[in-house]
Amino acid sequence: MSSEPIERRVSYICDRLRGSRCSVCGKEYFRKKDYCGNCGRRSFGLMQDIDFFFEKGELEVCTLVNEPTNKFTKLGTFVYGIVSFHNGKVRVPGRLTDRLIREGEQIDLSKFEGRTVVPRFRRRHAVDTSEIIPTISLAFTFTDEYYPHQKYTITEPKKEYEKPGIVGYGAYTSRFRYKEPNMERAVPFLDEDSITAAVEAGKMALIQSGIDHSRVSKVYVGSESNPYAVKPIASKVSQVLKLGQEDKTDGVQCVDAIDTEFACKAATSVFKDAASLVYYPENKDAYAMVIGTDNSQAAPRGEPGGELDFFVGYGACCFLFGMHDVIAEIEGWYSCTSDTPDFWRRDREPYPSHGGRFTGDPAYFKHVAKAATKLMEKMRLKPSDINYFVSHQPNINFPTKVAKQLGFKEDQYLPGLQVAKFGNTYSGASPFGLAATLDIAKPNERIVVASYGSGAGSDAYSFIATNQLPEKRERQKFTIRYQAENPFLEYVDYNTYRKLKTGL
Amino acid sequence: MQLRHPAIIGAGRTQFGEHYEREPEALIEEAGLKAFDAAGIERRDLDACFLADYFLPFTNKIGLEEGFFSELLELHVPMEITRSFSSALLSATNAIQSGRYQLVLVGGMEKMTDRWDKIRDDLMLLEDPLSYYAGCTPEANHELMVRAYIKKYGIKDEDLTKFNTALAQIPVKNHKHAIKNEYAQYRREITVEQVLKERAQARKPLGLYDYAPISDGAAALILASPEAAKTYTDMPIYILGSASATDYVTFPARENRTSFIATSLAMQNALKMANVQLSNIQIVELYDQSSMLELVALEDLGFCKPGTAWINIYDSCLDYKGCYMVNGKELFVNLNGGLKADGNPLGATGGAQVFEIVKQLSGDAGERQVSVEGGLQYGCSLELEGFGTKSYVYIFGRD
Repeated sequence: MSSEPIERRVSYICDRLRGSRCSVCGKEYFRKKDYCGNCGRRSFGLMQDIDFFFEKGELEVCTLVNEPTNKFTKLGTFVYGIVSFHNGKVRVPGRLTDRLIREGEQIDLSKFEGRTVVPRFRRRHAVDTSEIIPTISLAFTFTDEYYPHQKYTITEPKKEYEKPGIVGYGAYTSRFRYKEPNMERAVPFLDEDSITAAVEAGKMALIQSGIDHSRVSKVYVGSESNPYAVKPIASKVSQVLKLGQEDKTDGVQCVDAIDTEFACKAATSVFKDAASLVYYPENKDAYAMVIGTDNSQAAPRGEPGGELDFFVGYGACCFLFGMHDVIAEIEGWYSCTSDTPDFWRRDREPYPSHGGRFTGDPAYFKHVAKAATKLMEKMRLKPSDINYFVSHQPNINFPTKVAKQLGFKEDQYLPGLQVAKFGNTYSGASPFGLAATLDIAKPNERIVVASYGSGAGSDAYSFIATNQLPEKRERQKFTIRYQAENPFLEYVDYNTYRKLKTGL
Repeated sequence: MQLRHPAIIGAGRTQFGEHYEREPEALIEEAGLKAFDAAGIERRDLDACFLADYFLPFTNKIGLEEGFFSELLELHVPMEITRSFSSALLSATNAIQSGRYQLVLVGGMEKMTDRWDKIRDDLMLLEDPLSYYAGCTPEANHELMVRAYIKKYGIKDEDLTKFNTALAQIPVKNHKHAIKNEYAQYRREITVEQVLKERAQARKPLGLYDYAPISDGAAALILASPEAAKTYTDMPIYILGSASATDYVTFPARENRTSFIATSLAMQNALKMANVQLSNIQIVELYDQSSMLELVALEDLGFCKPGTAWINIYDSCLDYKGCYMVNGKELFVNLNGGLKADGNPLGATGGAQVFEIVKQLSGDAGERQVSVEGGLQYGCSLELEGFGTKSYVYIFGRD
């Protein structure tokens, strides 16, 4: 059994890479310190909190670990070394992640040393399934590969809008892919899961929006693959991203955090809740964060439910809602629900089951079409008034068929159809489509999104892009396209894919 | 004030290696009995016991080690447990010097193979927890030190080949020494080619043959006040200097990652206390947990300048004559085979080092006895806890 108090303390420091700086002499420390070793008593009360979460470092020296300690054996062979921050003011141990080292592969350590790295929030090591999952950001990747280093600069909002809307967004998926005949699917690395993806997506949204993390007053995380039956992802996201005001005396974030679950619409369902919350008169300076995250589950091929194994992906998408510097205003929404048991996962079952052909009709098509049609009726919109249509995308056929059925043309629905690049990211599926259209939409263009969650229901929203969208987009390098067409993507074979997917 | 030099009047040890059938108490009993025998004392003559084990509470779920020892010896004298033999010896030395006790037992034991399945996790977690959480292994810090050393001193091309060869010559030399040590864990020769091949296979700066093994074993000695010593032996070996120093537990956080500051500080203080010149030290038992640590110890102890030990080693080992040539003088290093070949049962390791120096200075080392012109006079031992987190240095001398 891991110890809860030890786990809390190690995670608190190491998930965010928290440290201290002496404001008398400037000496920096990893971990929090009440006084400086140089300055002694006169530095009491003068130590500043710093952290290295958004920083970049240098991998100074490294070696190969091919016989890890027991808890790390599932990571296989990895590169381990010393990372320095702020030109050597602080040095920490760390391992390289997102790197499969093959047997017999030539390793020249000097090719890794001296390169710039960025800390990544990951699972720390394997534990028993009953235990707390330990996490850490002492895992690093090279900035000149898949994942870039991006600064997080807080900018004061310029303009308050009349209606709430999206003020920033971020999408994250891993650099590993499995190739099917007509699609590519994102595969998590061994130390990734729906929790780590949620944190990454939130981080990306903070970077792009430039909002002050302490002004986020609520976090919703929607997922159907939380590795815990009981323990929220949202609390981890809040702590790592320091959402809401931080009480430094006891390490508590003053934010409301909650997980939601409704198959693949767990995140989209609460867009309207997030928007309404920031519209409340007393709350107009606050922001609400919504994340859809999944390490989409599927039984192996050939086993019951294994049909899903041809489609599942991995990733998370985050949207920040607020009244200031909005990039896409919410015009309206429409939701519908029925008790249709088309796809489910019983408690303690590792993989979901589904109702075969019923997942399409009457499940997916009925609900998506209903929500989209009703929204358009309510808002007196014709398909031609809509620039982009995005729907839940469990595969390529369903969203194409429903878009055509609703009267949309290829140039309206193809930009938001991302399933062929990433696979079905479950709670992140229609959000990935929305993010992809926001990546290209022009001011005043209209986007309609219709999600779908098995069980069953659909949420349709209409967004209008504002003229602040292009400017904020510039702050994000790690776009949907960047992740889909990255030259550092690594394609793995089936067995490796299953191994990576199972994880630590 | 003139310090009273405590004297070692007897030492004993077990074979190092795997003792599958034996409990830790059985090992320390054997070493203790040999030490009593060598000193010619009865256990009831003891005023106190200073014992060491690094992590028996982890490996064997044994706490209150003193109680086991009390039961074993049927003694109720003061007993204290510390982590390493050298640290127990330091407590004993201080106690004798203060005049509090006349005759004490210093013992160390370890039973590492009892927890073979998880020993590397425990070792690493105790040694440097932050690094453990980041994925460090007991070997990785040694290899990072190699990389940092190469980088700091700009060793490249032909020199890099020489450097790597010198690092391989260290375990080869230590195995050679161990052949004559009846207590050693490995009594067979290895070759430079074998060492290099293991490294190449592991794709790492250091390989299997560069590391000390996991061992069981125990060692003990009887320490006496100078007055008491004379009643038991004509040839006591005195502890002239004793010192320790401490460094950060997190290796990457240290200022210098190509040496151990704790070792150089302890050595300076031990030499000062002993009033002995470095150049007068003839034999050294140092802490070669890996080949790199023997190299670095030669620099930290002051025998070689920083960045140069590998040149001395390389030149001495091309045609090895039983010692390194350092500053034109012979320096015998790790005559028992070092941790690499003699074995490394943590709590007992320092005891084996002192055992070797006592035997050599007493002229009692049998087949592996070395001699120098003018006779052996001074020896030195270095023991570490963790990866250079603590260093203990002793200067030994005879009348």
